[in-house]
Amino acid sequence: MGRKEIFFGLFLMALSALFYGLTYQFPQQTLAFSPKIFPRFVSACLFIVAAVMVGQGVAALRRGSPAGPPGPPADRAFLVRLSLGLLMGYAYTRLLTLTGYLVITPPFIAGVMLVFKEKRWLRIVATSIITPIVLYFLFRKVFKVPLPRFNLF
Amino acid sequence: MPDIVQGFLFVLHPFHFPFLVLGVGLGIIVGALPGLTASVGIILLLPFIFNLDPSTAMVMLCGAFCGGIYGGSISAILISTPGTPSAAATVLDGYPLAQKGEAGKAIGVATIASTSGGIISTFCLMFFAPKLARVALEFGPEEYFALTVFGLTVIASVAGKSLTKGLISGLFGLLIATVGLDPVEGYARFSFDIPDLMGGFSLLPVLIGLFAISQIFVQLEAVGKGIKRYEQKIGKVLPSAKELKKLLGVIISCSFLGTFIGIIPGTGGAIASFLAYNEARRWSKDPDSFGQGNIAGIAAPEAANNGTTGGAMVPLLTLGIPGDVVTAVMLGCLLLIGLKPGPLLFKENPDVVAAIFAGLLLANVLILLLGVVSVKIFPRVLRVPHSMLFPIIFTLCFLGAFSLNNSTYDMFIALVFGLIGYVMQKNGFPAAPVVLGVILGPIAEDVLARALIISRGDWSTLIKSPISLFFYGISLLSVAYSIQRLRRSKKS
Repeated sequence: MGRKEIFFGLFLMALSALFYGLTYQFPQQTLAFSPKIFPRFVSACLFIVAAVMVGQGVAALRRGSPAGPPGPPADRAFLVRLSLGLLMGYAYTRLLTLTGYLVITPPFIAGVMLVFKEKRWLRIVATSIITPIVLYFLFRKVFKVPLPRFNLF
Repeated sequence: MPDIVQGFLFVLHPFHFPFLVLGVGLGIIVGALPGLTASVGIILLLPFIFNLDPSTAMVMLCGAFCGGIYGGSISAILISTPGTPSAAATVLDGYPLAQKGEAGKAIGVATIASTSGGIISTFCLMFFAPKLARVALEFGPEEYFALTVFGLTVIASVAGKSLTKGLISGLFGLLIATVGLDPVEGYARFSFDIPDLMGGFSLLPVLIGLFAISQIFVQLEAVGKGIKRYEQKIGKVLPSAKELKKLLGVIISCSFLGTFIGIIPGTGGAIASFLAYNEARRWSKDPDSFGQGNIAGIAAPEAANNGTTGGAMVPLLTLGIPGDVVTAVMLGCLLLIGLKPGPLLFKENPDVVAAIFAGLLLANVLILLLGVVSVKIFPRVLRVPHSMLFPIIFTLCFLGAFSLNNSTYDMFIALVFGLIGYVMQKNGFPAAPVVLGVILGPIAEDVLARALIISRGDWSTLIKSPISLFFYGISLLSVAYSIQRLRRSKKS
């Protein structure tokens, strides 16, 4: 309990205030129930509970109570791995429909394996080639779920 | 009302039965792998079931549900790491017995107890659910709103260590649910003229992100730390007839206890298994042997946690209220495959309900068969390197999100919620209340709107019905109980 609670509490208070404010743009009430009732109620509740958390955080800081659950480790190597994982995930979502599933998935799996510090090249090559093929057949042939094909040109 | 015989004929059909086997098998494997829970197993199956008919899809999901809960016991026994939270109590006696070289017997007892728990709870489900559904058919929008409020109080029960953070998670889920078209006038709320946001956030990418992708990011922290292994040989699996006879009372009573606890929304397998463990110890003639490899200490929690599977399906199927995290995910799955859980499910889809009943029963029989036959493979499953497993799961997550609408936007949303889920997890905000908020929010708003429109804006209509008052009353009790439980756990 402490600084983290205050930070998240203030962030959520701002978020809920923003959502509440945006409801003023909604159309005027024509029926017994308007689109603004529920979002206003929820954002007001969130604002109050977030304020309570800020209060708890301040009280904990004053008491000097021990830290709560550990946050993300400051370990630089982990942060690099997490950023790479996110970046690869984002690239995969952008490129899947352009290049097609079978083209982009092997390098994606190989990349994530490297992020997970896999060093055996044979394992990387085998997993990144066999897995997409198995999944392709499972999705397309067994469960009839279409996967994107090459679409660049 | 569901025709059980038809349900069995459906599940045992050569086209449908392999899906049950696949569901149970995958559930056991995912449940056994530390870091992946039964919820993740169910979520990973979702992309495969979109094109299946609802009954087959539900049979497969029921298999994964029961298999996942059972699978958690395997890693609990072999490497002292429960695969699922509900298997935490199994570690207490399972691991010491495995260390004595009797891992086979420990898994055998867990398998028999899990099967018994699952079967007994399914019979209870078959008995109670149709009766409760018949009562619930009389509910109007006012009663449904009160019922949804009761469902939302489950947030307090799954809040984890901090009620404030649990409530924030739940309200965050409710806020997310307000994005997109409103249920009455069709006005696009908080969409900022972005077409993709007009439909709101689909449930599947949110589930995949919060439960599965966030777990991959968590595992990134443990890269290079190595995985625990069980190196001893696995010998005899089945306990002797004398031992089984001794366990019979514990297994049956804990199965009923688990079923009863499962029916109460907001409880779940973890509570049931610890309660059953304590009861078994309290009634044992040799309580001191508990914690040192007593097989009753394995049978009790396993019978209870699998007992919750059928129990938790009672409020889920009849009222549309999830009992715990896994059933919240199951509720999401039901909605995604086009089924609306609640009393109307029994009226409009009795074939699906019958398939669920038969599927749950046969899934538990399969657990017995697969558990006993493949016991020697389990240590090998636990040795699968994370560097192979998680990249494959990452790919499956993306394909699952994509398969919902054939849209990369959903993949992006899954990734974003993966990051949100990771940040939440690392800062003590539970993910389960978000899911409850996302699922129950639109339902609550819809029934509230209907109630107010019917009553021409008279808010007092919400508290006029005795059934509504009853649900508000038990909602208060549920919250009070959760607060008391949190206080007690903080003290201890």
